[in-house]
Amino acid sequence: MQLSMTEEKPIHQKCQQKSQQKTRIQNLKTAVQNYKPGVCTERAIIWTTYFNNRDNRKKPQVIQMAEALKDVLLKKSINIYPDELIVGNFSSKRVGGSIYPELHGVPVVEDVFKFSGRKTTPLQISGSEIWQLLKIVPFWLFKFLAIRAYKSPFKKIRFVFSQLRAVFYLINESGGISHLAPDYEKLIQIGTDGIIKEANQYQSSVPKKSEKYYFYEAVKIIAGGLAQFGERYAKLARNMAKDESDPVRKKELEAIEQACLQVPGKGAKTFQQAVQSLFFAQIAINLESLDNSVCPGRMDYYLFPYYKKDIQSGLISKEEAKEIVAAFSIKMSEIIPVFSKRITRFHGGMFSGQVVTVGGTDYDGNDSTNELTYIFLEVMDELRMRQPNYHARIHVKSPEKYINTINEILSNGGNSPALYNDDIIVEMLCKQGYKISDARNYTAVGCVEPVSQGKSFASTDAALLNVPILLELALNQGKRFNSLVRSGAKTMPVSKMKTMADVNHAFEIQLSFKLNKLIRDLKAVESANRRLHPTPLTSMLLDGCLKSGVCSTAGGAAYNFSGIQCVGPVDTGDALYAIEQAVFVDKRISIKDLVKLLKNNINDKKLRAYLRNLIKFGNDDEEADNRTIYVIKEFMKILKKHENTRGGKYVAGLYSVTAHQYFGEVTGALPHGRKKGESFASGIAPVNGMDKNGPTALINSVNRIDFTETANGINFNLKFDSLCLRGQTGLLALGNILKTYFRRGGMQVQVNIMDPKILLKARDNPELYPNLLVRVSGYSAYFNDLTQGMKDEIIRRTCITV
Amino acid sequence: MGTEKDKKHKNYAVIFDIQRFSLHDGPGIRTTIFFKGCPLSCAWCQNPESQKAGPEMAFYAEQCQESYACTGICPQNAILRAKQSRINYDRCDACGKCALECPFNALRIIGKNWHYKELVDESIKDKDYFLDSKGGVTLSGGEPVMHVKFLQNFLPLLKKHGIHVNIETCGVFKFKEIESILLYLDLIYYDIKHIDPKVHKQYTGADNRLILDNFTRMVKVFPKLQARIPIIPGVNNDRGNILATARFLKQNNQTSIHCLPYHSLGAAKLARINSGPAPFNLQSITAKDLLPIKQMFQGEGIHAVVYD
Repeated sequence: MQLSMTEEKPIHQKCQQKSQQKTRIQNLKTAVQNYKPGVCTERAIIWTTYFNNRDNRKKPQVIQMAEALKDVLLKKSINIYPDELIVGNFSSKRVGGSIYPELHGVPVVEDVFKFSGRKTTPLQISGSEIWQLLKIVPFWLFKFLAIRAYKSPFKKIRFVFSQLRAVFYLINESGGISHLAPDYEKLIQIGTDGIIKEANQYQSSVPKKSEKYYFYEAVKIIAGGLAQFGERYAKLARNMAKDESDPVRKKELEAIEQACLQVPGKGAKTFQQAVQSLFFAQIAINLESLDNSVCPGRMDYYLFPYYKKDIQSGLISKEEAKEIVAAFSIKMSEIIPVFSKRITRFHGGMFSGQVVTVGGTDYDGNDSTNELTYIFLEVMDELRMRQPNYHARIHVKSPEKYINTINEILSNGGNSPALYNDDIIVEMLCKQGYKISDARNYTAVGCVEPVSQGKSFASTDAALLNVPILLELALNQGKRFNSLVRSGAKTMPVSKMKTMADVNHAFEIQLSFKLNKLIRDLKAVESANRRLHPTPLTSMLLDGCLKSGVCSTAGGAAYNFSGIQCVGPVDTGDALYAIEQAVFVDKRISIKDLVKLLKNNINDKKLRAYLRNLIKFGNDDEEADNRTIYVIKEFMKILKKHENTRGGKYVAGLYSVTAHQYFGEVTGALPHGRKKGESFASGIAPVNGMDKNGPTALINSVNRIDFTETANGINFNLKFDSLCLRGQTGLLALGNILKTYFRRGGMQVQVNIMDPKILLKARDNPELYPNLLVRVSGYSAYFNDLTQGMKDEIIRRTCITV
Repeated sequence: MGTEKDKKHKNYAVIFDIQRFSLHDGPGIRTTIFFKGCPLSCAWCQNPESQKAGPEMAFYAEQCQESYACTGICPQNAILRAKQSRINYDRCDACGKCALECPFNALRIIGKNWHYKELVDESIKDKDYFLDSKGGVTLSGGEPVMHVKFLQNFLPLLKKHGIHVNIETCGVFKFKEIESILLYLDLIYYDIKHIDPKVHKQYTGADNRLILDNFTRMVKVFPKLQARIPIIPGVNNDRGNILATARFLKQNNQTSIHCLPYHSLGAAKLARINSGPAPFNLQSITAKDLLPIKQMFQGEGIHAVVYD
């Protein structure tokens, strides 16, 4: 397609071309969205074949990894689908996911017969594929990473079983690490040839057959493998072009061939090649270790030079660049995680966590938004697909046009992009030891975790801790409410607790006890990753690893961290506040009776209503809010006492994906009126329906948290009903409220303007949305206080038919 | 006694709601304070619970879980054990004790005495948003000017925080009353409900001469006045009234008016209380229905802004 671009086209032809682009993108989107996702067995089979060979197993571990991955890249099936401009397949299915038998693959295969029939995220798999998977299970049954984390058989069993039914904590790192934003800028620039050259130079200065020597060897193997992966597509495109009768498509295929001959082996010369280069690496990294949160990151920033050059030389138009971005964006939805139902409880919603971040600043702190920024935002909004996750960086000097574009997208019901505050995050990263230029080059990875692009190996989703359950232990001498066995530390019986300080003390002991246990297990898993699953491909795209000759799993990257999620801080804070109020201030109930009530799942309607009515986090009440802050601070205090095996800090994350739901399911009743099994609040959102004073009060509460300390990121999900935020007035208000939140130190926010249809749901289930605001000039009322007829009235006003 | 009462009026006012994140009561993000008590009793009133001056009890039957936590604590013995009505209003003196007992928020006290200092503290909680959005505080009601002595204490203190103040008024007050607080106001939303004194009296309980007089005096001394009209179908949306209103505005050198489409949301509240006007059975209208009105105003050279 590049061949005819230089000549000036007549206007009608241009129009025709534009509509062609629209159809192409529409076709690609439809093909991907309509495809029923499936399980791909290729990686599992090729991996197993490699490790089945005894000779291979005698090689250094890092060589084994490089060779196995290279085998996958060279043997897996490849396809170029109709209309595609950017090529490459994550799996053998148009939309599919792989099995990683050496990581979490064995536990996943427990569901092998249920994949296609299950209700949530069904996955297609054929009979022969099931058979192929079953055949390899015996080989891996005692060889996968979690089971090899501990040497002693007793510890092995304890660990694996505790993880299968994770009640107190979950160690994600036993499924591999990933969670990085690779240095794609470098790959695009120098290609794998450049990286091999670099590895050769370093290798020549280390002793032969040393650990470092083999690391460089592995890098060279996999770098070469990646280039060959591209060449396979070049060959396929050539063959397809030969048989292509449509001259337009023929030219496109020839261009694809040219691109794949160039990248990822050599440096990219054009915008399209740049995108193609990183997409090949994106596939390969996902196949190396955990297929989660491999993030292209700041694409608008590092791709801009290629875009600018092509635009200036007239090689492509802005429209064509947009088409390439859209084609890439759609391909990012072709990968899905293959999880068992068990794992889905934590990681629901087919979450792949591939982040693309736009906006922000350059290394010197100057605004970096450019034409590509807006192209990415347009593509995101027009496609609205599952992946990638689009995030936008905002700072004091972000241009008004940029902010307005984002606000408009959000107020039209797009729940992307998530917004990040540079001014706070850069300060926070510097506090963690980042150089300021590296901090300014941050992107989020995974859900919300800020890391430096191409430099951080931050294992941001290493583990999650169920914090509210520790209060259950604290109120019952270290035992669960329904159990005779002590699972926590032995703390003071409630009968002896005379003040709130006694309660806090018991909680602090339980927190420290379980968090220390979590870290002990996590360290075992960290070592297992280093020992058993080095990642030479990931490492060659992380600054520091090549220079040091050390794999990223062993601490070779420039910056190392491990993120541990504090799940349920708000529930814990509210529960502590409720104890203080009900027992020590109002003296409405004794602490002994309160615990009895909790053991009986708060079976007293009146008391439950009383407990629920006590002030909660999110209502701009400093005292209540401080309880949540206390929990977060205690959590961080303990983390600070440890260092991970890669020489990095443990840092706290305040987001929970879907773990707040699962951890809620396994936790007993809590003093803030929450019954057994009810979901916790997500991230740092208030307990569902408990923010009664509207969004300004809620944000005042959230702004009380010091976000220069929450190094692993936060998720603040700010929901508005379309009723309240209607029209131009609503759009302005949204922009202003976010401005205030960020100006006062907010870190991140995901705005969600709820579909007007939820008003129908709210009408019929008032308890689901207790505090919907009605905003009509001079009128005072909450939605739920209206009569049925009036609710219908409001719903009609919001332009939906009842 | 007299001075005691006077002091009370200076320091306290009965307020029935404080609504943060209000977006339609003046520019930007605002906190709207609803004062209780109104000299008018408009048939279409959207806040009928505001009309009576003192606190009163309300019963939200749908919220009631029939726990009867309210029984036995009422000093006036005014609690009824009926599903649909819980309060014997002949006895009830609105002390609010039952509301404190009710865990389900089915019994509520409408109207609470606020000290002006407390109210300032509450009003400035969203100061940061006011700053960023060029918003502020709106005094609404009820009729805020009825609490003029309170406002004389409250507003100077509020203005010390540099907060933009808007007032929504029906225009029924002695002019010198509002004069005494004019210094502290940045904007006035002034309702002109009907231009004809008789019709005005029929629907609001008072004729409009004082309102129109005050309007005429006000525009001469206060430049940031904004006229408003709630459009009530069949009451004030006829061509005659709209044109007369437009002419009145022009006589007073006004160039614009805000039009608020009638909605029946106030009716939802009537069943909860034992005060307010008789039910006013009228279908709500929307911004779209106001297009002809807008054109009529525009035809007379008055710029009309229609609220949605």
